Amino acid sequence: MTPRSLLLVHPVTWTIWLGTTLLTVSLTRNPLYLLLLLFGLTLVAETERPTGRATPLDPIFFAVIAVSFGALFNAATIRYGDTVLVALPASWWLIGGPITLEAVVFGMINGLVLSALVAGFGAFGTAMPISALISLVPRAFYPLAVVMSVAVTYVPLTIRLAGQVREAQQLRGHQVRVWRDGLPLLLPLLIGGLERALQLAEAMAARGFAADPPSNQVRMMLVGGLAALFAGLLLQFAWGQVVAASLTLLIGTGLILWALRESGQQAPRTRYRVYRRGIRDMMVLLGAGLTLIAVLAPWPGRASLAYTPYPTLQMPIFEPLLALALMGLLMPVAVRLGDHYLP
Amino acid sequence: MIEFAQLSYRYPDQPQVCLDQVSLALPAGSFTLVIGPSGSGKSTLLRCLNGLVPHFSGGEVAGSVRIAAYDPIALGPRVMSRHVGMVFQSPEAQFVLERVEDEIAFALEHAAVPREQLRIRVEEVLDLLDLAPLRDRLLTTLSGGERQRVAIAATLALQPEVLVLDEPTSQLDPQSADDVLQALVRLNHDLGLTIVLAEHRSERVLPMVDLVVALDRAGRVVSGHPREILANSPLCPPLITVARAAGWQPLPLSVKEARPFATRQGLAQQDAIAVGKTGEAGRASATGPTRQQRPYLEIRSLEAGYGTTPVLRNLDLTIAAGEITLLMGRNGIGKSTLLKCMIGLLRPRRGEIRIAGHSIAGRDVAAISRELACLPQEPESMLFADTVADELRTTLRNHRLPVNEALIDELLAQLGLSERRERYPRDLSIGERQRVALGAISITRPGGLLLDEPTRGLDYEAKAMLGGLLRQWSREGTAIIVVSHDVEFVAEIADRVLILGQGGLIADGPPWNVLGNSPLFAPQIARIFPGRGWLTASDALQGLQRG
Amino acid sequence: MHGNLQAKICNLKWSDMRDRLMSGMIIGFTTVIGIIAFLYPFWLPTVATGGVGGAHAGTAPVILTTLVGLSFLALLLEAQRAAEHALLVALLGVLVAMNAILRFIDVALPLPGGFSPIFVLIILTGYLFGGSFGFLMGTMTLLVSALITGGVGPWLPFQMLTAGWVGLTAPLCRGPIQLLGGVGRYREVLVLAVFGALWGFGYGAIMNLWFWPFASGPVEQYWQTGIGFIETVRRYLTFYLATSLLWDVAGSLGNGLLIAAFGGPILRVLRRFQRRFAFVLRHVPLSEGL
Repeated sequence: MTPRSLLLVHPVTWTIWLGTTLLTVSLTRNPLYLLLLLFGLTLVAETERPTGRATPLDPIFFAVIAVSFGALFNAATIRYGDTVLVALPASWWLIGGPITLEAVVFGMINGLVLSALVAGFGAFGTAMPISALISLVPRAFYPLAVVMSVAVTYVPLTIRLAGQVREAQQLRGHQVRVWRDGLPLLLPLLIGGLERALQLAEAMAARGFAADPPSNQVRMMLVGGLAALFAGLLLQFAWGQVVAASLTLLIGTGLILWALRESGQQAPRTRYRVYRRGIRDMMVLLGAGLTLIAVLAPWPGRASLAYTPYPTLQMPIFEPLLALALMGLLMPVAVRLGDHYLP
Repeated sequence: MIEFAQLSYRYPDQPQVCLDQVSLALPAGSFTLVIGPSGSGKSTLLRCLNGLVPHFSGGEVAGSVRIAAYDPIALGPRVMSRHVGMVFQSPEAQFVLERVEDEIAFALEHAAVPREQLRIRVEEVLDLLDLAPLRDRLLTTLSGGERQRVAIAATLALQPEVLVLDEPTSQLDPQSADDVLQALVRLNHDLGLTIVLAEHRSERVLPMVDLVVALDRAGRVVSGHPREILANSPLCPPLITVARAAGWQPLPLSVKEARPFATRQGLAQQDAIAVGKTGEAGRASATGPTRQQRPYLEIRSLEAGYGTTPVLRNLDLTIAAGEITLLMGRNGIGKSTLLKCMIGLLRPRRGEIRIAGHSIAGRDVAAISRELACLPQEPESMLFADTVADELRTTLRNHRLPVNEALIDELLAQLGLSERRERYPRDLSIGERQRVALGAISITRPGGLLLDEPTRGLDYEAKAMLGGLLRQWSREGTAIIVVSHDVEFVAEIADRVLILGQGGLIADGPPWNVLGNSPLFAPQIARIFPGRGWLTASDALQGLQRG
Repeated sequence: MHGNLQAKICNLKWSDMRDRLMSGMIIGFTTVIGIIAFLYPFWLPTVATGGVGGAHAGTAPVILTTLVGLSFLALLLEAQRAAEHALLVALLGVLVAMNAILRFIDVALPLPGGFSPIFVLIILTGYLFGGSFGFLMGTMTLLVSALITGGVGPWLPFQMLTAGWVGLTAPLCRGPIQLLGGVGRYREVLVLAVFGALWGFGYGAIMNLWFWPFASGPVEQYWQTGIGFIETVRRYLTFYLATSLLWDVAGSLGNGLLIAAFGGPILRVLRRFQRRFAFVLRHVPLSEGL
């Protein structure tokens, strides 16, 4: 077996994959495709999971809960649809009225969409080591990336410290009887943490660390950008000026992105760990690209993505070509399993 | 290279100056040791070298510092990081990232060193400090000594001309400390790196250094060749104390240098038969008569450990009331496991432990600790109250005992903390904080006391005070068990020394028998005067007077 | 080379004013955009059915999500000014680590509902060290705890933003506390506890609104089923009663009780620390902005 903790494709490739997955899932309402996606994404999460690391949230388990909840809630609140299963007395507050099969199915689809999204995030989360995720943080947020690194580094240390404090307090007769007895455990941990922060800060400063605050020019751009966004929002939704709104929104977006870029370039940094791109990235990107074309390009099969059970429940259409294209998102599995055969 | 001219510094909101008109000149390529009691401003002096003082501390500065052509007070730590590297005391609290390699590269990434050069520099420092085999490891899995070497590597990656270290070995065991110090010597000799090192236990470092800077509590400084400074310094290792008393000239700085003097005076007997006799004679006055034989702690066929393999097997031990027992042994050999069994933090697999005649099986830690108090390795993790007296009250309340102010006053007086009664414990010096923790565990007047590595980070003065306190309590009948690596401290206070080996005790006896001839555990004095049975400076001084 | 270095750090008055103005504007715009976006499930159906200006209902969620994302980034960049000193970066890192562990406990233990201990430190640090610090504390806590538990999900950005808001608004307690003259007394803790309890409901409500589109289906449904504003509110109410009311009550009570019980001692510890490094913490920009 290959060591499974290794990152086989570039973090940016993974991010593009996640983006494609999220877009695909949110454009799909056909329960057949959604099920396919759900199982496919769960498979990706499973093959990417480093040996020994538990799946924090089993996507299938989550799906069972989300689908049941969606069905219950929608059926109880929507009075639409032709196939009436049972009619609750209309006098029941909030939930009285007919319960329809269509509403049940609609609710289940809602649950499926959410579950597929969760499965996509789950695959991404298990595949990416934390350091790779931090390396994705844009340069404008360099100080925050450092904060994240420090926090991740200090989590195991703090857990050890907590054990130490607990033992030390036991040694002076401390027992947790009521919940306020947590204080002698919490305070030394907090004080210790603050003292550690001081020492760490000195060590960081001694190694030349100092963050550069964004310049006033950058902040002016931010203010301008936000003002434009706000104006665009009003134009679009309150006054209905679509063209003017789009223009203003674009300007605002541009200003904010520009501000981020500017502040990222204020202080140059280099990176020690570089992730290489190679044939594996190409494969994953091609797979994702195929899916993206299938769900966005105007071709007849695309219509089967949409589905609504209302007003009368019908069997959703299944287009094999489209289903095949959706499987493009499973390319990471192929890369992982076929790693030996790739250069 | 380094020049201080009339430098004075005062912390914000402090009435008196911390550094008082310090003038120093340290040449390039020198290895300088900074000594002084706790709170004398060693750390402050070092932090002036890279601008952390005053940029990180506020306060007022007068006079000037120059590192080559650079002025750290004007330039600040960011610029100075290219010229002065600094390593701190705690092997835990100076890391930003999880892995060795990333940690070393952190400063370089931040300084935007081009990538090709970055890789070369990381490789260089990895080799320089023998860290290449550890490069992919998580920092949390490294030992303290390895972590300090990573910290040194991480600062050296920026290629500074000066390396400053603030008590880098005070939290380490002797073996790791030696590794770190050897690495420093190599850097100094091979690269010509200028090194400034603050260190409590000068005995390990003195033979290696070119210059000594000594601070006193008033913030004044003297500097010079180690022999000159140590001839007058109040803080010195046992070797120097003896050498000064015996009038040896030039003053020997290492055991090797001292041996010829001892041989010339005919004091180094190689005759093994004499060991027992003179040894017993030399120490009889110190211990013999106070020994009490009432057993306090009894351990019968103890087996304990974690996971599948037991750490301790079939261990038997009886400790008497009023006895000071020192437990020594390699790291990871089971000293802490034994300690944890005694206070109920770890349930033994087999065997029995009795305290004052009662088995501890089934009693919880809180109940046991009232009878047998234990000072953990990190006494700080105990302290959280607003005042010193409150810490003691908290323990009494925990045990549901009446809060007796007279008892608290008495104990604080014993601990030398009467004046600190209303202070915030965390603001005190390391030694004082340790004594507060000691007070917090012993306010219940326990019959026995366990201490885990109590001399870590203590200076000579605090160590002497702790020794005195333990002696007094043992005279009052308390059984005291200390786990320690610090042979000089062990030699000073022990009535009995136990050495733990694989699975059980491999040596048990009075200190001169166990330590005197051990190649590993012999204190400095025993090495200078082999076969005399002298272990401490006072043994040697008495012996020298007599003959 | 004689003199007090602190003098260098003190800002001139007018640049201080401009500083506050810019901070205020960035926070203001972000908050308004956020509120509009979070409430869109309510007003969108009316817009959609009314067909004002032919705005296509399908694009609205995308636009709004993008806007919230952008203003979140803008606010994060502004708040990052709080982390300009190495001490604050280290402090944030260490406190976030502690808080992330608390959240770990909260995820692992079946605690009642929305009861989460993470808000204690977010609110207290926000109140003492300034809104920016609190904002970063909130966002980073959620982010880091998601990373270490592997719980990265579509809800993460919303949790980050909301928890950030909790910290950002904590300095609002300063006014009432000063009014009651309660700095350093139990009244101070009481005000903070009430604030925490209120946010218990607020956090629940915002997280509900995030989840709402998944419970109610895409916007097109309103076209097809023809339900309007009243209908939407009725559905939301059912949803709220069924899923969140107990949850939020527990969360709110938990926040309030935790702050009431632990707030005083924690504040004392943080204040001691703040005094030692007053000169570093002084130029936290947003603290006075709110």
